[in-house]
Amino acid sequence: MKTASSDSRTETDFSETEAAFATFIRRLIQDAATLRAIDSGEVDAILDPVSGRAILLPEAREALRQSEVPTNQVLATLPREEYQRLRAGLELVTLTFGDVLHEPGELIQHIYFPNEGLLVSLLTLVQDRMGLEIGLVGSEGMVGLPVAQGIDTSSVRAVVQGTGTALRMESSQFRQALETSPALQRTLHRYTYALIAQITQTAACSRFHQVEARLARWLLMASDRLQSNSIHFTQEWLADLLGVRRVGVTLAASALQQQRLIQYSRGNITILDREGLKASACECYQKIKDIFDRA
Amino acid sequence: MRRKPIVIPSDSAAVTAAVVMRLYVVGGAPNSVQALANLEAICQRQLKGSYQLEVVDVLEQPLRALADGVIVTPSLIKLSPLPAAQIVGNLSDKSKVQRALGLEEKIW
Repeated sequence: MKTASSDSRTETDFSETEAAFATFIRRLIQDAATLRAIDSGEVDAILDPVSGRAILLPEAREALRQSEVPTNQVLATLPREEYQRLRAGLELVTLTFGDVLHEPGELIQHIYFPNEGLLVSLLTLVQDRMGLEIGLVGSEGMVGLPVAQGIDTSSVRAVVQGTGTALRMESSQFRQALETSPALQRTLHRYTYALIAQITQTAACSRFHQVEARLARWLLMASDRLQSNSIHFTQEWLADLLGVRRVGVTLAASALQQQRLIQYSRGNITILDREGLKASACECYQKIKDIFDRA
Repeated sequence: MRRKPIVIPSDSAAVTAAVVMRLYVVGGAPNSVQALANLEAICQRQLKGSYQLEVVDVLEQPLRALADGVIVTPSLIKLSPLPAAQIVGNLSDKSKVQRALGLEEKIW
């Protein structure tokens, strides 16, 4: 499995390397008028002919950050000033399927606020290999919650499902930021309560409910967090998450498909009838949803 | 907030005389916002409706900028009438913009 790393595809930033590059480009610019415009602060971005990207100059980058509306719901609840203070320390990263954000027993280097469209599974490992999904985090939450409670190691494996973006911050920096942001503290208290409720409900669900009902529950939860009716997943991966044999997922998915609740082909699952799928899901879906809605 | 490329069409009667321009910006960035405002003010006052302006966000279409020989934003390119001209910066120097667009300074 891969480890998440910073990616500049989404946000063109003025990192140290790029600052050096900008100096280099500046030397190459022969046109006096362009140089004057740069010197007098009239330029927002420089285009890099090699990478084909636009490099934002610091003032432009800051202005764009300040005008940005966060899609992560934890961040969106913060008063504008508190968000902007926090945003300065947050880095936008692109994450892809299979990226491991945290490992059990290991230091949590970064905390992540998933943006819309990113889904992260929290897995509890048994015998160090089999991972049962005990929690699902999307843009409604945060990955690395122990850091907010003063704990610096993870008890779960956090794995990215699908490709999307997140805002991340170094754990130590986040701890300091949290101390000066009462609104963030309040939001995370509520989110912690909701996530614990999700985990406890999932534990009971895994023991008592049938695969078909659990699969329906999982699809609805994933769909809510992705805000999409299309989910890309292989049956093998789903079987691992739900802690069942692959054939169990195949049978459950076929049953849901026969009822025309979902359509399944080559790892693409489309929810056709949301209400019908809710009726097929165990009560856990609605219970978890109600707790999140109230929190 | 990113600004989508927009085209402000010219008056049909003045098509032949229309000034065709392309402004490369970073949507929402201060100099780009100012460049657009400055340019629109000049155009509305001196070109009335007789111009076409396309605004291109380089965060969305960087390759178009490079193809046009643009290396910094904001950059304004006058494509027509010839000769083509390019001017960089926030376009706050009105006379420079007027010269680049081939507009005579109006004497009141």
